[in-house]
Amino acid sequence: MTDVLYELTDLSKKYTRGKESVAIFEDLTMTINRGDFIAIMGPSGSGKTTLLNLLGGIDKPSGGQVVCNGLRIDNLSQAKLAKWRSSHVGFIFQFYNLMPTLTAAQNVELPLLLTKLSSKERKRRVQTAMEVVKLAERAKHRPRQLSGGQQQRVAIARALVADPDVLLCDEPTGDLDRATADEILETLQLLNSELGKTIVMVTHDPAAAKYARRELHLDKGRFVETGAMA
Amino acid sequence: MISQISAVTSINLRSIPQRWGMSLATILSIALVVGVLLGFLAMANGFRATVSGTGSESIAVLLRSGSQAELNSGFGRDTVRLIETAPGVARDEDGAAILSAELYVITDATKRSTGNDASLSLRGVDDMAPRLRENFELVEGRMFAEGSNEIVVGEGVLREFSGFELNSTIRMGPNEWRVVGVFSTGGSVFDSEIWADIGTVQNLYQRGASYQSIRVQLDGETGLTELQDYAENEPRLDLDITTEKEFFAQSAGGLSNLIMYLGWPLAIIMAVGALAGAWNAMYASVDSRVREIATLRTLGFSGFAAFVGTLVESLLLAFIGGLVGALITYFVFDGVSASTMGGSFTQVVFSFAVTIQSVISGVVLALIVGLFGGFFPALRASRVPLLEVHG
Amino acid sequence: MNDLTLIRKSLFRKKTRAILLILSIMTAFLIFGALASIDRVLNSSEELSRADRLVTVNKINFTQTMPYAYWGRVGAVEGVQAVTHASWFGGYYQDIRNFVQAFAVDVDTYLEVYPELVMPADQRAALSERRDCVAVGADLAEQYGWAVGDRFPLSSNIWRQADGSSAWDVEVCAIMTIPDQELPTNYLLMQYDYYNEALAFNRDQIGWMILLTGDPANNDAVSERIDTLFANSPAETETTTEAAFSQAFVEQLGNIGLILSLVVGAAFATILMIVGTTMVMAINERTKEVGVMKTLGFSSSRIFTHVLSESVLLSLVGGLLGLGAAVLLLGGIAEVAGGQLPGLGVGRETWIQALGLMLAFGLLTGFVPAVNAMRLKIVEALGKD
Repeated sequence: MTDVLYELTDLSKKYTRGKESVAIFEDLTMTINRGDFIAIMGPSGSGKTTLLNLLGGIDKPSGGQVVCNGLRIDNLSQAKLAKWRSSHVGFIFQFYNLMPTLTAAQNVELPLLLTKLSSKERKRRVQTAMEVVKLAERAKHRPRQLSGGQQQRVAIARALVADPDVLLCDEPTGDLDRATADEILETLQLLNSELGKTIVMVTHDPAAAKYARRELHLDKGRFVETGAMA
Repeated sequence: MISQISAVTSINLRSIPQRWGMSLATILSIALVVGVLLGFLAMANGFRATVSGTGSESIAVLLRSGSQAELNSGFGRDTVRLIETAPGVARDEDGAAILSAELYVITDATKRSTGNDASLSLRGVDDMAPRLRENFELVEGRMFAEGSNEIVVGEGVLREFSGFELNSTIRMGPNEWRVVGVFSTGGSVFDSEIWADIGTVQNLYQRGASYQSIRVQLDGETGLTELQDYAENEPRLDLDITTEKEFFAQSAGGLSNLIMYLGWPLAIIMAVGALAGAWNAMYASVDSRVREIATLRTLGFSGFAAFVGTLVESLLLAFIGGLVGALITYFVFDGVSASTMGGSFTQVVFSFAVTIQSVISGVVLALIVGLFGGFFPALRASRVPLLEVHG
Repeated sequence: MNDLTLIRKSLFRKKTRAILLILSIMTAFLIFGALASIDRVLNSSEELSRADRLVTVNKINFTQTMPYAYWGRVGAVEGVQAVTHASWFGGYYQDIRNFVQAFAVDVDTYLEVYPELVMPADQRAALSERRDCVAVGADLAEQYGWAVGDRFPLSSNIWRQADGSSAWDVEVCAIMTIPDQELPTNYLLMQYDYYNEALAFNRDQIGWMILLTGDPANNDAVSERIDTLFANSPAETETTTEAAFSQAFVEQLGNIGLILSLVVGAAFATILMIVGTTMVMAINERTKEVGVMKTLGFSSSRIFTHVLSESVLLSLVGGLLGLGAAVLLLGGIAEVAGGQLPGLGVGRETWIQALGLMLAFGLLTGFVPAVNAMRLKIVEALGKD
């Protein structure tokens, strides 16, 4: 299936630091297919995270277009973008970013507060998502009581629970040891192969990138494709 | 140890500007607490100083028994005659008793501050009255003439009420009076009174030959008991006799105590509120420096130094707050003239007095807030785990 | 879980801090509740007053008396529907410190002018039968434990009987109440004739008169007619509405309203600064969490509402606890004071004002951090460690 999910056209992003204007990338054009698992690699400052932010609609490009699922998202209002994110995108961060005051289950339930689902239905979905990441028995624990790997799995469950089109992962294993990192990556791989989730993962770890279907190397705002693995 | 403490303390104090919002809020909230306390104390002190401060031990006040206040008292000329010859009363060179029999009437006058009528004491006296007030002094003009409708007014009356300027004519009830003098008794209650010739007052207010109080100069230390014994054993007399000091202390007690009893609890309740602010500010201070404190600890600084450093910061903020509050109260309130209802429903003019003792009380209250507010945060600072050095 | 759960959890994220803030808000509302009640007690005579009820006093001062004959003359003035008179007795019971607010009145006309005073019909009838009968307000009766049928000497610190005694023997024949209103009944009414005939001096004088005009629109005309009637006599009069008269009396204590407002203002300024700065700090600490919430799809306006709700919730919790504490405190004071401070308590109006204040305070302290959170850019928030 080569259904296109993302189409980026002539994308550019500039930052102004004082009087100087720094271009992160210019005229970037690419497509991402539904069901793909892409690892974006590159040195620090190459624009990996910025690209991810543009895909997720939490940052706006200086020029060009971002089209997701036929919807142009780069010119949506903040309020419309927020609504769009809640149902189409799941985020996974390097430092998990769980709410410290909420339990694991409540963290997972958080995005569902933005839906019209009943409390019962929300509970059912949270249960399913927690089972997918194999953490059902830790539902009542708070983030502080969980290990880094467990926290990241809660974060994955949170990203999954609203059944988004795409999971955007920013260095998801950057804070974990090798063994735990492998577990997390295997989980992501499973989500891609079994549930057909499209995944875009930013990483600087070549070992992590191996789990993806294809790797993209971003350098000075340009892609250097190193071939598909599958 | 001393050098450790001073090093940590100076680091703390230099970081205050980074949290100026919280620090300023703490200082100002403590200043407000101290301001409220000192405001009430200044009011209570001022009122008490006026009402009881000048009472004399060597002057006795005689009222009809059970009457408590001059307003309720009353007796005839015969009582005055008996006292004139009574033992225990001091006499002058000519052998005449030093005694002033007076009549006390309440009249309305217009307050400057509100433009409304308030009650003033109008006292009917003769030329003996000044001799029975310590510090009596005619500031302007002259005394009233006997039998005339002339009045002399206290300084407080002139300050707080309108229409009493020297040589002006003022209407009180159906009668017109002319102000011929202004007197001072050094800030006592009499400064809130109007004096007129007793004969005139008896006449205009249909009091016949009645009196409401007698003031006498006591003859030596035994004068009071001699006079009291005499009055008790003389069936024609029905009097309560006290020294002026005691008489004033009774009438001052109620209101100034009320002000004190209101002021302290209010200030303490507010201090609890400010305590929460100081506590939060100090926790914020410790939180923002956790890494710094841990670094110092790894370098070998003791937990105690970290404790003291935080406590000093808290005490300093509180001290500044207390001082600011005291200064503001001093400049805003000290000497401010006010009047309120004293005994007998009449107005007593007094000045707010910010005393050194009350300033000390205020600063001590501030320091207590600082001490409690800083203690637990300081404890936390002393227990910062060394591992926090890695942030 | 719902939004309220989130708000509650954020509020109590740092327990010590939340408790301290609640405590400080509590103190301000405790002060507000207590002082509003004191203010209300001082002005309670104003509530008692009726718009068409006037008071006539001696123009020199209300402590000066006037001739008894004035009563009859005022009754004949055009526009006066009913008139009664009263005299200050300066009463006390047994010990001079046991103050009793007692008035010598003409009972029939007094109850006509003060129709709100109610007593059982048999007691009312008994009251007129004997001249030494007195009517006692329920609050006062409670204070001294008096019941109908009790006899006691009522002493005066002003008046003397011709035989030198200063006590009048009286019997409690009626207990008065004011139904449906939280008004104090802490006074005693004795009969003027019984008081007057025994007086050693100042006989046939009355303290003041109270009258009804039937319509507030007639007040000015009636006042003027009465005061003109007695102009240029030795006892000129001044007639004002009952409300203005009691207001003037309270004002003589000084500007109590201003002092109370200043204290309440200082208390609120204190916590406004404390809570305001702490809320700003608390939201700053949560910058990253706010960023994550926004990333998940929570809209800026929803975040704004969350933060504002958090500070309103904080203010409500602290405020309600503070007012609760005021209720307990005033209840305790009223208990200790016996019946001397009737009406002391947090009134309905105070509750309504306090709720309004809590809401305003919450919105005020939450506004700046809420705007900060709303404006927060996700990329910057997430970039912050």
